[in-house]
Amino acid sequence: MFSAVVFLAFGCKKTLDINISPNNPLIETTTPEVLFPSAVASTAGRVGGDLTILGGIWSQYYTQANASNQYKTIDSYALTRNDFNGSYNELFSGALADYQLAIKLAQAKSDWRYNLMATVMKAYTYQVLVDLYDQVPYTEALKGVDNLQPKFDDGYTIYVGLLAEIDAALAKDYTSIALSSDQKKTDFLFGGDMSLWTKFANTLKLKMYLRMVNAKPAEAQAGITKLYTDGANFLTTNAGLATFDGTPDNSNPFYEYNIRRLNTTTNLRASKTFTSWLTTNNDPRVNYYFGTANPTPMNQGDYTATATQQPTYASATVFAQTAKDPVWFISAAESYLMQAEALERYYGGTGALAMYQNGVRAAFTQVGLATTSVPAAYLLYSGTFDQKLEKIIVQKWASFAGSHSLEGFFEQERTGYPKTSTVYSTDASYIPGQWVYSKNGVTAGLFPKRLVYPASSRDRNSNTPAEVPITTKVWWGK
Amino acid sequence: MKKLLQSLFIVLFFAVNAMAQDRTITGTVTSADDKLPIPGVSVKIQGAAGGTSTDSNGKFSIKVSSSAKVLEFSSIGFAAQTRPISSSNVINVVLNTDSKALGEVVVTALGVNKATKTLGYSQSTLKSAEVNASAPASLFGGLQGKVAGVNISNTSGAPGGSTKVILRGYSSITGSNQPLYVVDGVPLDNSTAGSDNNYDFGNNANDIDPNNIESISILKGSAATALYGSRGSNGVLIVTTKKGAAGKLKVDLSTATTLTNVASVYKLQDQFGQGWDGTYIPSENGNWGPKYDGQLRPWGAIVDNSQLLKPYSFIKNNVRDALTTGIELNNNIALSGGNENSTAYFSYGNIYSNGYLPSDNDSYKRNNFTLKGSTKYGKFSADASLNYVGKTTKFINQGGANSGIGSSFYEDILQIPGDIPIKDLQDYKNKFFNVDNYFTPYAENPYYSIYENGSRYKSDRVYGNINLNYKATGWLSFQFQQGADIDNAISKIWHNKNAPSPGSYNAGGNIEGSSRAADAGDVIDGSVKTFEYDSKLNALFNKELNSHFDLDGLIGVNYNDRGSRVLTTGIEDLAIPGFYQINNSANKPTSTSAESHRRLFGAYASATFGYNKYLYLTVTGRNDWSSTLPQDNNSYFYPASSLAFIASQAIDFSKTPISFLKIRASYGETGSDTDPYRVFNSATRTSVPLGFGTLTFPIFGVPGYSISNQLNSNNFKPERVKEVELGAEIRFLQDRIGIDATYYNKLRKDQIIPLPIDPSTGYSSYIVNFGSVRNKGVELAVNIKPIKTTDIDWNLNYTFTKENSKVTELPAGLDKVVLNTAYDAQFVARVGQPLGIIEAPTRTYSPSGQVIVDANGYPVYSSENVSFGSTVPDFVMGLANQFRYKDFSLSFTLDWHKGGVFYSGTADLLNFVGADAKTTYNDRRPFIVPNSVQKLANGTYVENTTPITEANTDDFYYHTSNKADAYANRILDRSFLKLREATLSYNLPKSIVGKIGAQRASVSVFGRNLVTWLAKNNNTIDPEVSNFGNDLGSEFGEFRTAPPVRFFGASLKVSF
Repeated sequence: MFSAVVFLAFGCKKTLDINISPNNPLIETTTPEVLFPSAVASTAGRVGGDLTILGGIWSQYYTQANASNQYKTIDSYALTRNDFNGSYNELFSGALADYQLAIKLAQAKSDWRYNLMATVMKAYTYQVLVDLYDQVPYTEALKGVDNLQPKFDDGYTIYVGLLAEIDAALAKDYTSIALSSDQKKTDFLFGGDMSLWTKFANTLKLKMYLRMVNAKPAEAQAGITKLYTDGANFLTTNAGLATFDGTPDNSNPFYEYNIRRLNTTTNLRASKTFTSWLTTNNDPRVNYYFGTANPTPMNQGDYTATATQQPTYASATVFAQTAKDPVWFISAAESYLMQAEALERYYGGTGALAMYQNGVRAAFTQVGLATTSVPAAYLLYSGTFDQKLEKIIVQKWASFAGSHSLEGFFEQERTGYPKTSTVYSTDASYIPGQWVYSKNGVTAGLFPKRLVYPASSRDRNSNTPAEVPITTKVWWGK
Repeated sequence: MKKLLQSLFIVLFFAVNAMAQDRTITGTVTSADDKLPIPGVSVKIQGAAGGTSTDSNGKFSIKVSSSAKVLEFSSIGFAAQTRPISSSNVINVVLNTDSKALGEVVVTALGVNKATKTLGYSQSTLKSAEVNASAPASLFGGLQGKVAGVNISNTSGAPGGSTKVILRGYSSITGSNQPLYVVDGVPLDNSTAGSDNNYDFGNNANDIDPNNIESISILKGSAATALYGSRGSNGVLIVTTKKGAAGKLKVDLSTATTLTNVASVYKLQDQFGQGWDGTYIPSENGNWGPKYDGQLRPWGAIVDNSQLLKPYSFIKNNVRDALTTGIELNNNIALSGGNENSTAYFSYGNIYSNGYLPSDNDSYKRNNFTLKGSTKYGKFSADASLNYVGKTTKFINQGGANSGIGSSFYEDILQIPGDIPIKDLQDYKNKFFNVDNYFTPYAENPYYSIYENGSRYKSDRVYGNINLNYKATGWLSFQFQQGADIDNAISKIWHNKNAPSPGSYNAGGNIEGSSRAADAGDVIDGSVKTFEYDSKLNALFNKELNSHFDLDGLIGVNYNDRGSRVLTTGIEDLAIPGFYQINNSANKPTSTSAESHRRLFGAYASATFGYNKYLYLTVTGRNDWSSTLPQDNNSYFYPASSLAFIASQAIDFSKTPISFLKIRASYGETGSDTDPYRVFNSATRTSVPLGFGTLTFPIFGVPGYSISNQLNSNNFKPERVKEVELGAEIRFLQDRIGIDATYYNKLRKDQIIPLPIDPSTGYSSYIVNFGSVRNKGVELAVNIKPIKTTDIDWNLNYTFTKENSKVTELPAGLDKVVLNTAYDAQFVARVGQPLGIIEAPTRTYSPSGQVIVDANGYPVYSSENVSFGSTVPDFVMGLANQFRYKDFSLSFTLDWHKGGVFYSGTADLLNFVGADAKTTYNDRRPFIVPNSVQKLANGTYVENTTPITEANTDDFYYHTSNKADAYANRILDRSFLKLREATLSYNLPKSIVGKIGAQRASVSVFGRNLVTWLAKNNNTIDPEVSNFGNDLGSEFGEFRTAPPVRFFGASLKVSF
């Protein structure tokens, strides 16, 4: 008894000191080298995964099959606060939290390379969230226990903040010390080539300024002209994850989600909106996107059609995917086409033609096609500003499918291109490529423009703004 | 122990009678049971002080005055009797035993034996005979419905599956609600390591061989369990096992053979057959085709230019006929013996159980060896026990399919239209039923899952203890106990690889052009080790202070060290089909390992003060130091006190029908620390959840670590339970009627909750101490003995339990805690509501109360989920009836749970495929949602004229297309009434038994779960089954799990 009491009094503290997890390292032991690639994978996993499914259905590249069910709520615009919580959660508590810690650790040891890489990727990830939700927490976000109820900031404030963060990171010396060979491997985008990071940062800035042209035209113009004045270089290569291992849990996230992990791999069928445009234009990319020169499409959102009503739907073409498909954050084509738009807007179109054509060609290169296979009509570029903008944006739209589908949806909201159709795609007067209102849409003819604030925010944060309908445009929308 | 107490009482009741006496009455007191004299029986003259007691030969002699009218006889363990004093000077008395009388000694906290009468809290004891009446394979198989406040359910229909035991309802929102299991003084691991929603390899308490159990003592309240401190908050089940007794070698044999089959299966609609959208489509998995017409139709794939024919009509008992009758064998032999100094006990038990699926891929084998011994030397005594349990469980995947890897039997069998004979599909390699040509590409042949996929869990477990005792003086003794429980298990889970051949029926060659995804197959090897070491040192004292006061109690310390280590390695995509080895793949294996280790120190003391043998006050206290709490804040004290007043001993009730009255009151505090590793923040190996699938590091040879989504805290304390319990026990008419009523009111506060936080904080949850739940309840046990004669005994036990739980507080800013989900249905804790309500979308109504529908005629669903009710039953009743006529006895137990709801994933799938009986509304003709309106853009409402067409009937019942109505068909009434157990047994007469040289022998036939009545709106599944574990989350319901089992068996028990 006595010995036990002695044990209790003196041995207790040490004996009970066994509460450090053997399973997971302490947070203090992490480094930018392990955090940064994790966060990039998180961004790619979600933006290139379920958000590409969302973006692709809403951009009308593909639609829900009538023999299965998986994406009906997306295709009918019936999303609620309970949908897409996973992406919101992962992008914040997965990607952004890791970027933020990587930035903090990098800054603490003046490692401006990881500081830039993580800052640019943080800005990219934030931009996607802002564009989807209009408002999200920013100034009070990512503070852990110090702020459990962060307030929401308006989209413009966040954009301004992100642009400033990118500028601050660009202002540091991140080029004089190259990454070590091991560190280079942690950069899935550019293998440690810091000059490409500069270009990515500039191109991302260009993209964000272009998003502002409706809501903040003066600020957009000032930002873009400053880029040009400063002689900024933009991306001429694709930024993103060019490939994947292709093994389970190490594959293109869209493939992993939609093909490997679903018992029905034929949920996403060709949408007539996209196939009609491709085939009308004799666009050879139809083979890349649908695996056939003559896809059998479904009309967008027509998943309740019966076999009697639409006998061809049973054999409607499935969107072609592989486990090694890339996930692009910003593609070369997108970069060129954005430059074309900027030159049209602010420099009277000087040099815009070349950029437009570069963009169209790059879009073909992106899917492994020779630039010679670009239909001649695509390269024609003339008319009013609106006509040229339509060409730019429609070409962009045709380049996003699968690899960064969400952008097609965003750009349509920003510019109104591709145009929306007044008739359904079954109508004789339907113009190929025009977006149609989903057959089973539940929003009274209004297209979706955003996601509603997720339950994981609404249920947990009293600062979540009142719910805004899915059909209300975001702050930069047209 | 009974005899020991008797001897003690002989001394206690010694008294002097100083009154003048007229004459002396003598007599002998004997026992009705064995006709032997009873020593130490108190003999008193009613209304007078003093008295005498019987001697060692049961004889007494008492002087009585002429005014004395009645003599009272009472003794521990016997029902008291009164006898009028007549002219005779001899009064011989026969006392009946009464197991519930004053002298009953039961096991209480820390294994201390105490007389029931001194307990100020509710306690129930179950004896071996009750535990084993129907030869269950697990400890609680035969106890359902027998004890008030104890809810026991078999969550699995598969052999070896988990048993859920919950005492006094759920109170911990996100922590454990599992009671502590203590075997012979040592805590026993009851984890479910290795199991998940798809594989249930059982909880570890099921490893105990019920045949070895002497008794189970159930301590429900905090005052009863306060000596277990931070492990006592969910109640404690103390199992005492059999041991050797002095005397010649005794051999007990028991053997039982039980047949098992499925107890209840879903009732399906019988009017519409295969097809979809009202059309007959032979490749569909649904029952949305035309009405049955009985005509012969070809079905399935055309193979080698031939096709099968069958009538287009509903097949009755299709599911039941597809399942088989399983067998369960339960054999046990026990040898015991010893002399006055040493005893020994050995037993071997063997269980083999094969479930109701064809093949033995759903089976459970268990071998139990037990060796116990004890010895005495002077003031020292020692005893030890050693148990080995070896078991092998084979389990068929339940729940949802592992998409892309392999399918699930229980999902596949639900997707067979009612006109397709399931049983015939068993020949799963037959050209019509194989991977290429199974009739639908939307599901797989369920038999493929049974024969080609599988799992095996094999464990070797050793547990036991060593006890050393030293009796220092007559009133003081010391006890040291060391216990250990070590379990080593390996598991293997596999799915075979398959893919429809290119061009085959299921690769797009069917009329719909649909193809089924390939199954890549997988192998997962697991290793699970759990360990628990427990040491305690106690000083026990027991002292008569003076003629009025006595004191007993203990002081002690306890050290507990437990943990687990789980290592799993798996591959996906088999290279060689049918070969299950983790190198059989082009993919590299992925591994995870998880360790958990915790320690707990406790120091405790307990004292019971007795006054005049009718008033007992017990005070206990325990201080715990836990390794899982923040180090500067890891010491907590748990006090308790209880009062027992035996009114019938203190006050003379002899002129009333009351034969016994005891009043109890207690207050106790217990606690619950938390899981290890919740103090320091950590990073985790990055595995990005994609929604379906993950993106897991290493990627391109680069490792990745990510901030854990859980924000830990160094500022929390244990959960604390404060409980008041009041109770009374009253018996009438010489104990022919007994009522034991208990009221409790407990508050569980400072709950440790991983509080979900806005992910924009950078985390998704935060460990906080907040939230409380109040449970109030009434437990009533009524015992009636309508007939009690030498030849006939009739004993009725009725139990009633009503438990109200209410969430009284949640962390600020959090209006609910989500406990479980299925699609849009959520199982939540919400302030002001019972712990566990199910919420889901529902219809919305116009101001005039009409259903609002959308442009397509479907009801518009509510943006906020609404409550469909609580999972807590309104009340639970049990009725156990035992009837004995001479050597025959017949008993049965009914268990009625009334009220509550549950979510059924089986119902979800049955609605999807149009098999649910509720999908035949309006004969599936087009209909307009009754009393419905459409809302115009200007906010006004017009009458809805858009019908739900025949082709869209299926969408009307599915949750993605009609959220507003779907959940009403999936959230079902939880009520049930079950005939839990029935046994008929016969004690063979001595003449026959003697011929085989045995002492006793009995044969029984029995059944369990014989009849189940479900609520009217539940045609689907027994609400007790679940594949969500065995804690609060499982109350949500089930997701396509195995229906429960019915048992019929016969047993033979022989003692030599």
